[in-house]
Amino acid sequence: MPYDLDLLDETAWRGLVDRFGFRMWAVARACGLDATDAADAVQAAWLRLVEKLDTIRDPEAVGAWLVTTTRHEAGRIRRKRAGHQLTGLVPDLPTTEGDPVARMLSEEDGRRLWAAIDTLHEPCRTLLRLIVTLPEVTYAQLAHRMRMPIGSIGPTRMRCLRRVRSLMGEEPR
Amino acid sequence: MTDREPGGERLLAGPADDEYLLAALRIAAGVDPVPERVGADARAAYELRLPGAILAGPLEPLPGLVADARPLAGVRSDGRPAGDEPRLLRFGADGLTIDVEVTVRDSHLDLAGQVHPLPVGGARVEIRTPHISKIRFPTESGLFATTGLPHGWLSVVCHRPGDRPVATRWQCIRQ
Repeated sequence: MPYDLDLLDETAWRGLVDRFGFRMWAVARACGLDATDAADAVQAAWLRLVEKLDTIRDPEAVGAWLVTTTRHEAGRIRRKRAGHQLTGLVPDLPTTEGDPVARMLSEEDGRRLWAAIDTLHEPCRTLLRLIVTLPEVTYAQLAHRMRMPIGSIGPTRMRCLRRVRSLMGEEPR
Repeated sequence: MTDREPGGERLLAGPADDEYLLAALRIAAGVDPVPERVGADARAAYELRLPGAILAGPLEPLPGLVADARPLAGVRSDGRPAGDEPRLLRFGADGLTIDVEVTVRDSHLDLAGQVHPLPVGGARVEIRTPHISKIRFPTESGLFATTGLPHGWLSVVCHRPGDRPVATRWQCIRQ
């Protein structure tokens, strides 16, 4: 459904919130943020849209832009939490179009991904299930639960996700 | 859902794939619903629109030129705070500069700032948060201040007689 941002009224805005808010939240949490930081990342994206309303020329891309902006903000908060020095308090904004894949966070995509995970061997199947269902789980907790060295969690996670992508029909990177 | 775009088979082919993949799994699992407060804040953001305002982007802050020009001990040369020292922010647009100094207290934020040059005919400065707004009339030097702001998002708007307002980008200030 296209949005005419020149005429964006409160009803249309609420429509954007209903349609994309849960995706923005899921992306922020998938970036490893706790609930407070994830809320800031999501709100940052909405405020950037408030600031940009006069300049948006492609209403069709607003949803992807919101999701992509949330990911940028979440990444920035994550780097800050990790002790990285940031330049200024304002992040770079993503392009107006957003990440192409950000448009595709549908329930159907999720079901296909879960089906792919169900076909994985261990430890991938359990590891990915834990990562998904326990949003704030730490690598130390995963290592204990999986009885794996903590240093192998990250590489295993990466390998398992690559396997999922492969099952989804993509060549692993 | 109806959001699959043409070319949707390219799912998970970009650089941010892992995060989007995990997000899609979370959505499908329904394990982490959006907190009500997050949705309410998103809906309320609509009221923060400022039609016609000129957006002031960030500039490099210049320590010593901010607010009431009191000593800013502990501020490094890059304008970032050392320890709990005030955070210095500078914004500029349309020939106007807005300097903002935010001090983070345990329970609130204190804010001091300066607009320069002071618009002809005076100006009205509005310090905005998502839920409250405070109006200040700057001194002849363009100084303004307020206290008791909640931690979180804020923006400073300079309303100019007969001209478009200049609004800083929203900033999130927390401990």
